[in-house]
Order: sequence, then structure tokens, then C-alpha cells
Amino acid sequence: MTITYQLLLDVERKVSETTIKRWPDGSTIPFDPDNTDYQAYLKWLEAGNTPLPADTGA
Amino acid sequence: MAYGTVNADVVQSSVSGVSLGAGNASIMKNRIINGAMVIDQRNAGGSVSNNSSVNVFSCDRWLLNGSVSSKYTAQQNAGSVTPPTGFSNYLGITSSSAYTVGSGEWFGLSQKIEGFNTADLGWGTANAKTVTLSFQVYSSLTGTFGGVFTNSAISYSYPFTYTISSANTWTTVFVTVVGPTSGTWLGTNNCSIQIIFGLGAGSTLSGTAGSWSANTYVSATGATSVVGTNGATFYITGVQLEVGSSATGFEYRQYGQELALCQRYYTQINYNINNYVGSGKAFSTTDVMGISVGLPVTMRAAPTGGYTTLANFRVLNSLNNANSSLNSLSYSGTQSTTTLSIYINLASAVTAAGSASTLDTGNGATAITASAEL
Repeated sequence: MTITYQLLLDVERKVSETTIKRWPDGSTIPFDPDNTDYQAYLKWLEAGNTPLPADTGA
Repeated sequence: MAYGTVNADVVQSSVSGVSLGAGNASIMKNRIINGAMVIDQRNAGGSVSNNSSVNVFSCDRWLLNGSVSSKYTAQQNAGSVTPPTGFSNYLGITSSSAYTVGSGEWFGLSQKIEGFNTADLGWGTANAKTVTLSFQVYSSLTGTFGGVFTNSAISYSYPFTYTISSANTWTTVFVTVVGPTSGTWLGTNNCSIQIIFGLGAGSTLSGTAGSWSANTYVSATGATSVVGTNGATFYITGVQLEVGSSATGFEYRQYGQELALCQRYYTQINYNINNYVGSGKAFSTTDVMGISVGLPVTMRAAPTGGYTTLANFRVLNSLNNANSSLNSLSYSGTQSTTTLSIYINLASAVTAAGSASTLDTGNGATAITASAEL
């Protein structure tokens, strides 16, 4: 299972600064430093990965 | 002692010759959550395989560790053996192959304990308290098995061993550990202590049993590898971690208490078909926001929000009663530890901006999930 992340748009159609989407499960991860899924996302970024662009919808 | 508080250690020592808890008294003495493997929100008794890429949980709070995916399965009451006396459930591990564990690889079953629930132990200080781990274990294998007490970073560890002499027989195990006076042990809402039951660990990750060291150990040297034998079983229940140098009776909590303790880390809100989830406002023809789902317990941190079956959700528009399935269900804004704010993108344009819209489960049963695991 390969984990990827995708940017989300907020209600103003801007890239969310508070959440990120995780695939393949479609979960939404909050940018909370105590959230271990967010910690895993930061490690994924540190490894040189880049999230997918946001869909035009949610 | 301050008015209104009870210090279990003081009470125990003041009742000469009586082991508080011997009658299974419930005073929240057990730092392990779901030690009797009663709660299984995610899988409802189903089987799951370990995965090296994502955290997989079997019974609530019990994490499947593994360097290589699909080397074992875990299931509540796997194999349907009779649980030990006094218990109705156990967590059953079954090896999926005869895997030779590499020197830097490991497999285990673990529980991470929140610092708020262990800060009183004083670990990492001169006043570190002794604790005792007790559990019931049953395996198709015999021999010496291993495990470890370690910190959040797995950088300060205490390997331990125990013996299973008779195959396929429930065996009670006690492990007493003098608390460490060094190492970093968080006293916050993050992980403090991890208890790992080794299922196979390489030589570089295995240490000599019976002493603390600033090493990354996940099991004890010489321990049996469960994943090394195809079809080998390892069943466990009655896991208790308590202050003191001897084990007392297992703390049976009421089901609702245990569930609530689990829900601080994972909540699954289940909906049957045609259940109402909530109402929100369409701000375009295909986007709905403002649906808030309250969480039953304040979670440890802002949770990761998810769902089980997206296709079973549906949005109905109040103006024309049209409905649409969902393209996506996300959680928007700064999430809190008490609610999830849902943001929906619809597969077809059925709403009018500004109209009220209802999220339901008209296409089938599904669930909303929230995870704040350690």
C-alpha cells in the first residue's frame, strides 16, 4: 500500500492551511502537531515527497 | 493526602496483608486500555493483517507492528478457543508464513500509553515507581518469548522474557520492572510508555532481558519468533500494567467505561441505511459545508477524520428533494478534539447556493471515523 497525500481546498477555494488528504483511505488529517498522522505527513515531506494538487472540489 | 483524592499506593500499604484489587476492584489501576480485548470498533471481530506502511489496529488500542507487510493476522477471538477463566475475549495472532526475520526487522503487538496516564510513575526521575505487567497468553509454540517496555521514541528500553511451557494452554505471566531513572518519558497527551509483545525481532533490535538501557530494543535476545512458523498462534488477554511489585486481580471495567477510554483515541460513528447524519448549507451547486458531527468523547488530539463507505452517503437538497452521491467527504477548517466539520463535494449538481442540504446514508450503512491514536 502506497501512501500519498493531496492538497485540499478550503471554502474560499484556497489551498487549505489546516488539513491535508491522505490516500488511499481518503482520510483528512488536521495540522495538529499532536496528531500522529500529521507527524507522519511531515516525515513524508521531509523525505522529499510532494503532495498531489487539489481537486477543484472539496 | 488532599481532600477528595485517593492515592492507591498509600491505601495499599495501609491495609496490611491485603492486596488491593485482589477482588478485582476497579480503581483505574490498570494503565492499559482494553486489556481484556473487549472493544473492537474498527473490525467488529474481523481479521486484519499487519502493514508496514500504515498503522493497523486489531482490538482497540492494540497496534500491529511489522517491518514487512502481511506476515501475520490479528483478530478478536481468532481460532475460537475458550478464553481464560474470567475473560470473554482475547486477541489472536496467527502467523501467515514461515518468515525469517532480518537483523534489523521486527514484528510485535503493542500498546502506546498516553503520558497523562503515566506521569505519576515518575519515570526518568529518581522517584521512578516500580510497575508490574500481567497477562494471559496462549500459543501453539513453546519456549521463551520476549517483549519490551520502551519510551515513545523507542530509545530507552527494558527487554523482558517469559516462558510458555505448554502449547495451547493459557499461561499467566507476571513481569515486574523497577522504573527507569533515566530516559525521556513524556507526561503529556503524547506517548509515554510503549509495551511491545515481540512476535519476532532481529538481533540488532533485541537486547538482554532484565535491564534498562538507552538502546532501541523491541524484544529480548533469544525470544521465539512467532512469524517464523507458518500458522503459529499467539493469543493474549487480561493485560494489566499497575504500580507495585506484584500483580493484583485484573481490573474489570464496565463496557461503557472501556469504550469511552478507547474513544479518546479512535471513534467510529456507525450509521444504518437511511440514517440522518446532519444538515448544512450549500455554497455552490456541488459543495456543501457546515455539517458538524459531535464526537462522543473528547479526543487526545484533533483527530484524523475518515469514513468507511463513501458511496453510501447521499446529500438531499431541501428545495427540490433531488439527491446526489458524493465525490468526496473531507473535514474542513481547524478541527477540534470534540467535533468534526464535514465538507462535501457532490458528484452531480443538485443544490442551489444558499440552500439547506442534508447528509444521510440513503445508499447503505456506513460510518464516520475519527482517529487520534498515539
